[in-house]
Amino acid sequence: MNCMNNPAARRFMWHLAITMVLYVAFLVLALVIFIHYRPTGPLAWLLAVLPALPVIGQLAVCGLYLAEEKDEFLRNLQIQAMLWGIGATLAVTTVWGFLENFAQVPHLYLYVVYPLFWFFVGISTPLLKARYK
Amino acid sequence: MKNRLRVLRAERNWSQADLAERLEVSRQSVNAIETGKYDPSLPLAFKLARLFETTIEAIFSDENG
Repeated sequence: MNCMNNPAARRFMWHLAITMVLYVAFLVLALVIFIHYRPTGPLAWLLAVLPALPVIGQLAVCGLYLAEEKDEFLRNLQIQAMLWGIGATLAVTTVWGFLENFAQVPHLYLYVVYPLFWFFVGISTPLLKARYK
Repeated sequence: MKNRLRVLRAERNWSQADLAERLEVSRQSVNAIETGKYDPSLPLAFKLARLFETTIEAIFSDENG
């Protein structure tokens, strides 16, 4: 994450890559089955949830990284970046929700929230690092 | 929090990277502690003290104290 020389960060990148591959595979699988077979009922529910599972797995991978990271400064930096990510995402989605109600802006799909969180984590990480230089 | 890490390092001719390796942390961590921008936890402070064969109080000082 912050320092690729340490084992926890390297493991994190590996786990992250696995979840990303699974995400693409599950998404393609779900799309293909929905397009060709148009499933309904429990199977449709199961397939709809399938691409979300690796995303949930990514959150677990993040938790594992924070538990394994022995460098307290890097762990602290990552936690701060994630808190900024959570705060900014909550702020933006709350404002957007009211804009949808009162100003007729386009609807924001809920699955956009997750990449939005990482977008804000990505922005805040170098800013936080700069603070400690 | 003020600290004497730079002096202690210089006495031993260690770079920040050398100290980081001995502490098993990143160089950024050593830099952040040394510049007073990050206060280490008690376990890391004890590790520093042991490494420099001194006490925590001899390395760190409260700015109000």
